[in-house]
Amino acid sequence: MISFIGRSIVQKIITLFFVSIVSFLIIHLAPGEPSQVDPMNPKFTREMVERFREEFHLDKPLYRQYLYFYRDLFSGKTISWKDNQPAFKKIWERFLNSLPLFIVGTILTWTISFPVGIRSAIFRGGIYDRSATFFSYLLISIPGFFFAYILIMFVVNQFHVPVIGMETFGIGETSGFNRIMDRIWHLLLPSLLGATAGIAVLSRFVRSQMLEVEGQDYVRTAKAKGLAPDQVHYKHALRNALLPFVTMFGLILPGLIGGSVIIESIFAWPGMGRMAYEAILARDYPIILTLNFVSAVLVLIGTFISDLLYMVVDPRIRL
Amino acid sequence: MEHTNTDMHDNQLDEPLAPKRTRLEEFWRLFKQNRLAIAGMVFFIVFFFLAIAGFTLTRGNTPVLDPALVRLQDKLRPPLTRPNLERLRPHEIPKLGIYIFGTDDLGRDVFARMLQGSWVSLTVGFVAVGISVLIGIFLGGIAGYYGSRPIRIGQLLVLAFLFTGVVLLINKLIWAGSVVLIGSAVCILISIQIKKAASAKSRSAAARLWNFKTISIDTVVMRFVDIMLCFPSFFLILTVVALLPASIYNIMIVIGLTTWMGATRFVRAEFLSLREQDFVAAARALGLSNFRIIFRHMIPNAVAPVLVSATIGIASAILTEAGLSFLGFGVPPPHATWGNILSDGKRFIFDAPWLTFVPGIAILIIVLSFNLFGEGLRDVLNPKLRERN
Repeated sequence: MISFIGRSIVQKIITLFFVSIVSFLIIHLAPGEPSQVDPMNPKFTREMVERFREEFHLDKPLYRQYLYFYRDLFSGKTISWKDNQPAFKKIWERFLNSLPLFIVGTILTWTISFPVGIRSAIFRGGIYDRSATFFSYLLISIPGFFFAYILIMFVVNQFHVPVIGMETFGIGETSGFNRIMDRIWHLLLPSLLGATAGIAVLSRFVRSQMLEVEGQDYVRTAKAKGLAPDQVHYKHALRNALLPFVTMFGLILPGLIGGSVIIESIFAWPGMGRMAYEAILARDYPIILTLNFVSAVLVLIGTFISDLLYMVVDPRIRL
Repeated sequence: MEHTNTDMHDNQLDEPLAPKRTRLEEFWRLFKQNRLAIAGMVFFIVFFFLAIAGFTLTRGNTPVLDPALVRLQDKLRPPLTRPNLERLRPHEIPKLGIYIFGTDDLGRDVFARMLQGSWVSLTVGFVAVGISVLIGIFLGGIAGYYGSRPIRIGQLLVLAFLFTGVVLLINKLIWAGSVVLIGSAVCILISIQIKKAASAKSRSAAARLWNFKTISIDTVVMRFVDIMLCFPSFFLILTVVALLPASIYNIMIVIGLTTWMGATRFVRAEFLSLREQDFVAAARALGLSNFRIIFRHMIPNAVAPVLVSATIGIASAILTEAGLSFLGFGVPPPHATWGNILSDGKRFIFDAPWLTFVPGIAILIIVLSFNLFGEGLRDVLNPKLRERN
């Protein structure tokens, strides 16, 4: 166990190092330079561009830029090129905005997909199972932006509530209850949209896991000795089918920072995805690289946690 | 005729019979049972021909259906309306005589634009997935077949010299680059010399250092896969596409270069198990070359899971392209794609909902049919699943 932890930490640090190199190269070898973002702007004289390049070490060779950037990153001094704000502070603010979306989306995903998947597995081949299967394919295939517009049209026409943004403009003066309802309406659609693909995939996965376990000998034994079907399904089968899902708690961690670029742009939600999009448009390299680095760290921590959980939960696994 | 056939059949009962159905027939028999997959395949074939028709009908200077022709007199007409004949100039009258999917805010025929966009979706899906499958088969094949072989210091030196040489050449340092490239050639020569001398039992210390084993090829490839998996995929694609000049080919290449990890893993896993099987051992015993073993014997057997993941990969590539067009990246404006038709139409979502629904439903149907087709293939090609169902 200890040796596994040590080995995988070393491995992950090496991976992270290469990730940092690759992401840096991708961004800096692409044609164009951040100093040329706005060539038509009369304020961008030659001297300004030179000063800009010098300020952000863009006139140095690539490996020096790399060292400067990661030195700043680890000492927390990285600043955005756009507005000179510290990168971590900016990311943290946006992260707090994205967090409610992530939490509600995750809760929706896990609470909807389990009952659906379990029921499909129990009534395999029935009309419920087949329609659930078809709907999950439908949800995987529907483009998020199109679904978003359908939902917006539906909600706006049926319930007459505004849904764009984090809250209705000027809502501050009204009473507490109205404000809470307003927040919930604004939160509901984007988080539901963020959860759709997850619901579809996870419910299929729950179904196949349940089917796998339901075919085992001990479930047949439990049925044969005359246990009530509920007890067989939920006590004998479900408990064993849950095993792989414990590990998925680790894998949802990267979703924390992912944020959906498209959904957040449609709903004008000032979250991480939207910030990434703005940073890409403005060629704000420090923000892009920092986001990338943080998300790589989260992916690695997530896989690490899921490996550990697997070992804890399933004594047969020896890594 | 039938009679004689059965007679012959009776006579030959003693001889060993080949399976009556060929592989393809067997495959088709199983595939037919999955009605959703059949529907997916039919839609896929229809889409394929529509896209080709769209490509031929909308290209050239005077296309049959002009997707870029602006008719401001006829803007935002709902689907299935007739054009306003009095107010249109002769060359502006649509050839079909009707706006099947209506017109957009500039009076362009949405049907023509959808046809043009279908070709983009089709090529993006196929080219991107083609690239990723080729990379996947190449890297996965190397990792699976040669995986246990270590990389030696000498080979590392050659690679390092080659790499720095190319980088120097790119940075227009012709002299330094050429010198370094010559260095790599020298390294190759040294390797050959050492290999020749290998028959001599006592090797010099330098030769031993030259042949010192570092990590295995498999480790290198799979670590590289791990590294690529650390990037959030849509974010990575978006970054690269935004930094590169806008062009449909860039999108195809970028999607292909960022989605090969799954195919690599599949191919490697298949190769690892196939390599130990008897028919490969037999092929090797017959003295076939590695090249022939890999391409004639192993790849045809490893291709099934790759095919499945490729079909589903096409679906997700089409979705990704639509998402990028929606955000305004990719194909430059006058050219229509399903994503940018929808993105242009979103401003008129309450007045002209067809501008949102036509491309949205088209994307939905195509992606759904690819997904269903892929899942059907998976069920048929995977004998384990087949027995359970």
